[in-house]
Amino acid sequence: MEKTMQAGGGSALRETIVGIVLRIFTYIILIIGAAFLVMPYLWMLLGSFKAPLDANALEFRFFPQEWIFTNYTDLFTSPNFPIVNAFFNTVLVEVSVIVVGTFVSAMAAFSFAKLKLPHKTFWLLFLMSGMMVPYAALMLPQFRVFQTIGMFDTLWPLILPGFFGNVSMLFFLVQYMRGIPNAYFEAARIDGAGHFTCFIRIMLPLVKTAIAAQVIFWFIGIWNDYFAPSIYLITPGRMTLQALLGSLNPSMNRQYLPMALAGAVLSSIPMFVIYLSCQKFFIESLAISGVKG
Amino acid sequence: MESVDMNVTGSAAEGLAPSAGNPKKRVSKTERREHLVAFLFILPPIAGFLIFTALSVIFTVVYSFQDYNSLSNVSTFAGFENYIELFTSPTRWPLFRKAVVNTIVMLLSVPFGMILGLALAGLLRLGEIKGSKFFQVLYYIPSVSSAVALNIVWNYIFRSNGLFNTIFGLDVVWLDGSATLKAAIIFKNSLNSMGSAMILYLAGMLNVSPELYEASSLDGAGKLRQFFSITLPLISPVTFYLLITGLIGGLQSYADSQVFAGGNSGATTVVYFIWQQGIQGNNNQGLASAASVLLAVFIMLITLVQFKFSNKWVYEE
Repeated sequence: MEKTMQAGGGSALRETIVGIVLRIFTYIILIIGAAFLVMPYLWMLLGSFKAPLDANALEFRFFPQEWIFTNYTDLFTSPNFPIVNAFFNTVLVEVSVIVVGTFVSAMAAFSFAKLKLPHKTFWLLFLMSGMMVPYAALMLPQFRVFQTIGMFDTLWPLILPGFFGNVSMLFFLVQYMRGIPNAYFEAARIDGAGHFTCFIRIMLPLVKTAIAAQVIFWFIGIWNDYFAPSIYLITPGRMTLQALLGSLNPSMNRQYLPMALAGAVLSSIPMFVIYLSCQKFFIESLAISGVKG
Repeated sequence: MESVDMNVTGSAAEGLAPSAGNPKKRVSKTERREHLVAFLFILPPIAGFLIFTALSVIFTVVYSFQDYNSLSNVSTFAGFENYIELFTSPTRWPLFRKAVVNTIVMLLSVPFGMILGLALAGLLRLGEIKGSKFFQVLYYIPSVSSAVALNIVWNYIFRSNGLFNTIFGLDVVWLDGSATLKAAIIFKNSLNSMGSAMILYLAGMLNVSPELYEASSLDGAGKLRQFFSITLPLISPVTFYLLITGLIGGLQSYADSQVFAGGNSGATTVVYFIWQQGIQGNNNQGLASAASVLLAVFIMLITLVQFKFSNKWVYEE
């Protein structure tokens, strides 16, 4: 590198050659990496078309010996692995938690950002302190209570906590709402609008994109959540998608492997669609989260 | 107490004309009314916090000092018995020790994923790659995928006659041995986490002022030198963030043990141990709670370190 600084014309040529070599090398690395990342998804898809004996055969085969679709159709007909029920259960959790929880979080964020409240910082820190408590430290008492009040093997343990809002969404919205000028609300207040009206009529429309962004992250988080659903749900017809997939666990029951892969494919499709249609937003939000800490 | 006070003042304010603010009082009626409304707005998250976090934590601690009999539903005070049992019992300690060791070893995927991400980000910057966005989108896919789905397929890939051994021409039994099982988990988790590390490092690198590079190349510093003496120190906040969030997430890993390893003792984690003792058998909640308390304390310490340091570099900016 230092030598390239010395001579004039020769070094420029040398630098371009170094640049080209570097670029080719980079592309090779990136493509190898990409191949590794695509491999599991490709393997998932191929495996989902294999017969159980084919997938578990001692001899390695890349493509299915015979392309079969029964792994998918079985998921739609088998009473032990009712993927349609699981889909609707997941959607039920998603919709109820997100509709109520988002409203609650946004309302609290409005209060933190725009209303006068004594000890406001204390309350905010109070709520945020919950973010550092791991779920493992909460689950045993919650499990015992939900079991005692007859909510074991129902969706309630997954839905109820969400009704009280989401602290990371709340915190994000507080910061976002602080940036909205107070003048909007002062004018409305003079016209006699209450705080709730200000929140519904003025604040919500102004922050709806920020809310939508947070909702997407929350949606994916709930969709992929496995630990709590796997603890609480034991009847196949009452499970969420991830719990159902986990119950197919092919590391224990090998014959379910292709079916589990088919389930994995089906349950991944909505996430792929959401991710690919909002890819720019995902990458940008992630980049911001790291730079700001 | 606070909420009761608020209610009293609130209903009083409602009874009077809201506009009749008394200037002599420190807090006017309208202001008190606003305080009440503001408090009511934040009440649901606070109630949720009290019920689902504060109370739960308190009870986890209480349980950890109790012996619970699930048949008779009776709890008796046990002092530090559960904690002592965790570390001395001939049946529980080996399980717990294994879980702790496995969890720590599997955390290796955090630095590995970061190093891969950093190398990729560095290459993308150095090579000024076209289509960098495409690779970012692709590499981030595992982060939005379900851990269960990925674990199911990775288990398939790591079978003795599976894709991994076939591609690399190996004959390793990954899923049975304790060491190979963890190696497989570290491999797949490093691969799955390198994308988000790459994106964060790239963002960090774009934030480094170009003047610094110009100045140093005038001084004759090569690109590699610049990377180590300018880029790396300046993106240390990203490194710190990735390390802390990775550790916190890794310490709570569960699906790897349950789905990928199918409960094999070579890959049980602390959270898996807690689940096994407290929920699966449902007979050892005291012991499980003791383990939960220790894990929570550990994670909270890491989080506090993060808070402290992130404040520090925010001030520096």
